[in-house]
Amino acid sequence: MSRKVHLVGVLVLVLLGAIVSGCIGGDQTTTQTTTTEEVTITWLSTQLNPPEERAFVQEQLLKEFSDQTGIDVNFIPISYADLATRLEAEEKTGKVTIDLIADLHGGLDFFASKGWLEDLSGRKLEGRTFISTFEKYATINGKKVYIPWMSATYVMVVNKKAFDYLPAGLTQEDVMKGTEKWTYDALLEWAKNLKDATGQPQLGFPAGPKGLLHRFLHGYIYPSFTGYQAKNFDSPEAVEMWKYLRELWQYVNPASTTWDAMGEPLLRGEVMIAWDHTARIKNAIETNPDQFAVVPVPRGPKGRGFILVVAGLAIPKNAPHPDEAWKLIDYLTKPETQVKILENVGFFPTVQEATGAIPSGPLKVIAEGVTAQSATPDAVVAMIPNLGEKGGQFTDAYRTAFQRIVLKGEDPEAVVKELGPQVKQLFQEMGQEIP
Amino acid sequence: MKVKSSYIPYLLILPAFAYLLFFVGYPLVQALYTAFTQNGQFSLATVRKTFADPYFWEALKYTIALAGVIVPTQVGLALILALAVNRAFKGKDLTIYVLTIPLTISDVAAGLIWYSMLSPSGFLNKLLLKIGLINQPIYFFGYQYRHMEFLAIVLAELWRATSIVFVIILAGLQMISNEYLEAAEVFGADYWTRLRKIVIPLLKPSIQSALIIRTLFAMQIFGIVWILAGRDIPILAGEGFYRLTELKEYDVASIYALVIAGLSLLLGALYIKFMKAEYLEVRR
Repeated sequence: MSRKVHLVGVLVLVLLGAIVSGCIGGDQTTTQTTTTEEVTITWLSTQLNPPEERAFVQEQLLKEFSDQTGIDVNFIPISYADLATRLEAEEKTGKVTIDLIADLHGGLDFFASKGWLEDLSGRKLEGRTFISTFEKYATINGKKVYIPWMSATYVMVVNKKAFDYLPAGLTQEDVMKGTEKWTYDALLEWAKNLKDATGQPQLGFPAGPKGLLHRFLHGYIYPSFTGYQAKNFDSPEAVEMWKYLRELWQYVNPASTTWDAMGEPLLRGEVMIAWDHTARIKNAIETNPDQFAVVPVPRGPKGRGFILVVAGLAIPKNAPHPDEAWKLIDYLTKPETQVKILENVGFFPTVQEATGAIPSGPLKVIAEGVTAQSATPDAVVAMIPNLGEKGGQFTDAYRTAFQRIVLKGEDPEAVVKELGPQVKQLFQEMGQEIP
Repeated sequence: MKVKSSYIPYLLILPAFAYLLFFVGYPLVQALYTAFTQNGQFSLATVRKTFADPYFWEALKYTIALAGVIVPTQVGLALILALAVNRAFKGKDLTIYVLTIPLTISDVAAGLIWYSMLSPSGFLNKLLLKIGLINQPIYFFGYQYRHMEFLAIVLAELWRATSIVFVIILAGLQMISNEYLEAAEVFGADYWTRLRKIVIPLLKPSIQSALIIRTLFAMQIFGIVWILAGRDIPILAGEGFYRLTELKEYDVASIYALVIAGLSLLLGALYIKFMKAEYLEVRR
């Protein structure tokens, strides 16, 4: 018996050996490319990771960049957690191999607070003006820690037929421009009119398991009613907000709890007004640009809360090729490149010159809505908090509150009192200010 | 090279053994470790955390309820279909072919097909509205309509996965020798007696394997529920997936995976114990 076990053991070891040696082989090839003579810079990005977006970066953006400058770029898609671990290890040991980082504002903000990022104030980019909100957020403690690269947000899409049922006192102009008459109360009245006229609820939210409803809750309606994303989670204003949402939900298509993205329901005509991420309604606008309008979100008592997602480019301290990395930043923030990014992957430009250069068509429709929203004077801008692995628990608290209050009809005050401390504790554990 | 003949069986099962060791054994040990330790110490904290979550019990309830409704209906339906098809008639091959088409469709695709059929502006509602049977669309989806979502899942699963049971049972039927049936006929047994006394007992091995396969798949039901009901109807696999991907709670997700594995093992063992296959030849 022991001989048989022995035989099995030996074979298992051989198999293991094959796998392990394969891994070592893989490592060797990467070290070979980095030690060759021509300059290759390493770009780690948490953005544009899905296969088709990655292909766009490698086959279009980086190919053109290499042709222009002769610099090769090793584009490495990576998760935020892996990026943070690797950057920390490299900065602590002083053996930095990363030349350029692309990540969301929250992540870069954290890296900057650790002192891992180069101050870019001394470097200049010609022929472009960054949108001032982005510029403001990229400057932390007087240092410019990253260059704003791409942006995204969440907007409302309105089927133009719905404009026939606007409540008294609200005009199409108000909605398109986002004036102070375009409020959550007006939305409620409008939704009621639509249901009365068509017999069916015409409002839609992505409340499915992979939908982004939690972003609407913490980044839109919470700031609009309470002024903050989480600070007033269990305030009396928040209780009012939940009561409002419960009332609004009567006019929301009940199938919303199964929808992950609103593009399809809009196209199928199941809803006339929907809220979602720009990338997730893009297909509806592209299929039918004349039927839909993209509009700013309504405002609440504390202003017009909305989320700005900003991805920036940063150079780590002691990066091996900072000048070459800067050339890549220069290329990626050129207005032409920014329009190309919008056309291919749907992220919006961060430089003003690019917004004017968008050709008319569906993207222009979305861009106009996004610009109108960013330009509203009563904006309460929310940035998605960077809680790393705890991010899921943060969003889960909002989704749980929604489910218990709006769907199951529990008492809003009791629910927010129970969940509020949990939400705030997440920020305390990470040593962050409660937004 | 001469290999001792006593080694041969072991050598033959070695590839399968190695496969199981790497792709089932290792993850299983890892899941057990993740679920029952905390900071390297044995701990039941994760188990308590999971069991304290109302979602877990709902998921368990719905997973079992779905299996309880779907699997017996499928076996019954498949038996009727197989009996109907198991005779000579024109277009038999085409009928079998059509009946097995859903076998090739993935559960997510099946979910999407049924979603577009049953949605408020879908085929079914449009049809019923047109012929004037209803004047308001019937809602199948949404948290408020969970019982309808349950029905939609049952319909979609019956349509999609009955064919696998059908194929197994039909194969079993075709193996039953006509001699038994002819002999019974000679002794005056009518159709129902033959069905009860000969066909069903001889089909037991097929029914048993069909039941085991379907029940195990029913414990892992995921894609179709995710598409049709989201988390309105929580199910074990879906909740495990949500815990893992959204909340990064690897320990809780491991418990879900272990519960699915445990349930599958238990039910498989019960089937084998209580559904002893009968072969006429070996009956004494």
